[in-house]
This record gives sequence, structure tokens and C-alpha cells, in this order.
Amino acid sequence: MTAATETDRALVDRVAKGDRAAVRLLFMRHHARVYRFVVRQTGSEMMADDIANEVFLELWRQAPGFEGRSEVSTWLLGIARFKALSLLRKKKEDWIDDDDAAQVPDSADTPEVVTMKDDKAAALRRFIDALPEEHRTVIDLAYYHGQSVTEIGEVLGIPVATVKTRMFYARKKLGEALKAAGYDRGWP
Amino acid sequence: MSAAEKMSRRDEMETLLPFYLNGSLEGAELEAVEEWLATDPAALAALGEAEAEFSGTAAANEAIRPPADALSRFAKALDAEAGPARAPAGQSWLAQAFNRFMAVPVGVAWAAAAVLLALVVVQSFVQPGGKGNDFEIAGTEDDLAKMPFALVKFKPEAKISDIAVFLGENGLKIAGGPTADGVFRIAIAAETAADYEKLVSLIAAQPFADAVIEGRKPASGG
Repeated sequence: MTAATETDRALVDRVAKGDRAAVRLLFMRHHARVYRFVVRQTGSEMMADDIANEVFLELWRQAPGFEGRSEVSTWLLGIARFKALSLLRKKKEDWIDDDDAAQVPDSADTPEVVTMKDDKAAALRRFIDALPEEHRTVIDLAYYHGQSVTEIGEVLGIPVATVKTRMFYARKKLGEALKAAGYDRGWP
Repeated sequence: MSAAEKMSRRDEMETLLPFYLNGSLEGAELEAVEEWLATDPAALAALGEAEAEFSGTAAANEAIRPPADALSRFAKALDAEAGPARAPAGQSWLAQAFNRFMAVPVGVAWAAAAVLLALVVVQSFVQPGGKGNDFEIAGTEDDLAKMPFALVKFKPEAKISDIAVFLGENGLKIAGGPTADGVFRIAIAAETAADYEKLVSLIAAQPFADAVIEGRKPASGG
């Protein structure tokens, strides 16, 4: 089996035995997605750079204890999420609570102005970026990271029902924002 | 089915659509979504809207560019965390002599390496007494002519021992060089262009690599 086709779990097994080449391969496979996930979580590229590095050092340390209950990508995103939250808490930055998250996303421009500037796809991207963090995160994890409902629950440390609730509200907000911008898509 | 019930079902389906699109839905939920898509005229339009969200989310994420030197900095942090690589045990006097040579800084050792390459056109040059630093310096001229390769210049302060470990771990071979400018030709046993790109990126990310120029790539697109 060549390095390019070796599974993530096989590479983690090699890492557990002290194989540095294996951890570098895992870094090459997953770093970009972990980095992007943390940037989207924290809004800071500098913070994401530090945290993403730490995630793979943590992989090096924790590989012997990896039991393979989840996919390696889910495991790495979970570590990244935990480290991002820890760092943000240390920095005493404010987090959006559930009440705030229920509000329509903010934007520098009104939906109408955005629509005048951009087409529907660009407007949709803006609305996704403007979603409250906890809603945008489930959107990112499902659409970009390909995670299942259960895996998102593992990454975020929340029940499956909460994942679905957040997805429902995230998509509802996107529909409302698009409708306000003149793109009625029939739901909600 | 009442309007309220219908709306409730629509809400549920809209909630599940992202997971239907990413292929993670299964069991009863998958059946429910597929049944909805097959029977409700509004469902296909809803699927199209979800696909637009899928594309928008991918674009937003892909727009974030990770730092180019991330792997290099991670490798340094890993070395700091893990310490130096272990040397193989039970070495013969020849292996010890070989290791003394390998510990010489690259800038000093290149001349000796060039002489070695000039004198020894070998199938392989494997360190006796263990696998720790096994790396091949050549193959037949015919092999070398056919293999994908990259041109690599190492930093003068780099240790040959570090380079040897790296080459051995990644199945790379020194196929020629150095030139007067200290450039080596590294044979890359990659079957696909994707494998080749990964290995070239890996070489470029090493702290001892000064410059890497892509050479011949594998024929397959992979």
C-alpha cells in the first residue's frame, strides 16, 4: 500500500508507534480543513494557525489511545473545537448565546443592497458567513466537512437533537434572508 | 394530512437535506427523504436550494488559505516535542563510520558525496546493521532515466543523517548530483501525479530543503 492510499486509521496506528512520517502525512491530509474550521470558529487566522498546529501535536500525543470509534477527521475536528473554545474562553471573548442565535443574521448591507451588488450565489455566501457561529458551524460541518448528524454531535459535544435544531434554524435563517433579498425559495 | 402536519414534515425534510447531500443519511431518515423527493413537487426545488448552500459553504471555506509554511513549522514543533530520532542499535564499525560521515554538515559532505556517486553506480547503498538510515543513492542508469524526479538543493547546514532518514521514510532516492550549485536529482517513486505532488510538497516543507524544482512527473493524472 502506498502512502497516498493508506487509511487514516492505519496512519494513526503508525503514529502510535512513533512514526513521524505518518503524522506528517496526516498533517498534509487534514491540516487545511482543520485550519479552515478553526478560522471559521475564531475569526482569527493567527489563532487558527497555532491551534491547528496544536491539534496535530495532540494527535502525536494521543495516538496510542485512539480507539477508532470515530473517523480520524471527526476526532481531529473535535480536538480543534475544544482547543478553540478553550483559547477563546481564556481570552474572555463573548460567545453568541441561543437567544442571539435565533435572530436574523446581521450584515453590513441590507439584503436589498447586497442583492444589487451580487447575484444570488454571492448573496447566499454572504448570508452563510453572517450566520451566528453555532449555526454556521453545523452548516460548515455538514456541507464542507461531510459530517453526519452523529459526528457533528461528537465534534461539538451536543446531543443529536440539538444538531438537528441548529441545522433547522440555520437553514430557516438563510431562507428568510434570501426571501428578504428577493429570492423566495418557498421555505420557510 | 393537515397543513400543520405537512409543514412539520417539510421542516424535518429541510433539516435532513444537508445530510442527504453529504451522503451521511441512512436508515429510516434516508428512506423518508427519498420518498419525499419522489412524491412532493416542491422537494426537488428544495434540493436545488440545498445544493446552492453546499456550493456556497464550500466556496467560503476554500477561500481561506492555510499558511504555506505550516508543515515546515509543524515539523519543527514535532521535533521539539519528540526529540531526535532514535539511532539503530547494534551497529558494526562500518555502520558507525557511515554514521560519522552522515553527521557531517551537508556543506562539507557534498564533495565526498559527489565522489561517492561518481565512483559507485550501484543498485542500492544500504547501511549495514539496521534499517534506521537506509537510503538508496542510485539505481541503474536505465532506471534513473525513467523515474519521476525533482531537483533539490539542500541548505548548507543540513545534516546528511537527517536527509537520509527522510529519504528512507519516504522511499526517495538520490539519483544524481550534486551539480556545481549543489543541486541533487531526487528520484520519486510515485505512480500518480497526485502522489508526486504530495512528495514534492513534503520535500519542500523540510527544514533542510533550500529549494525544490519539479522535474518529470508520472504519466498518470491520479
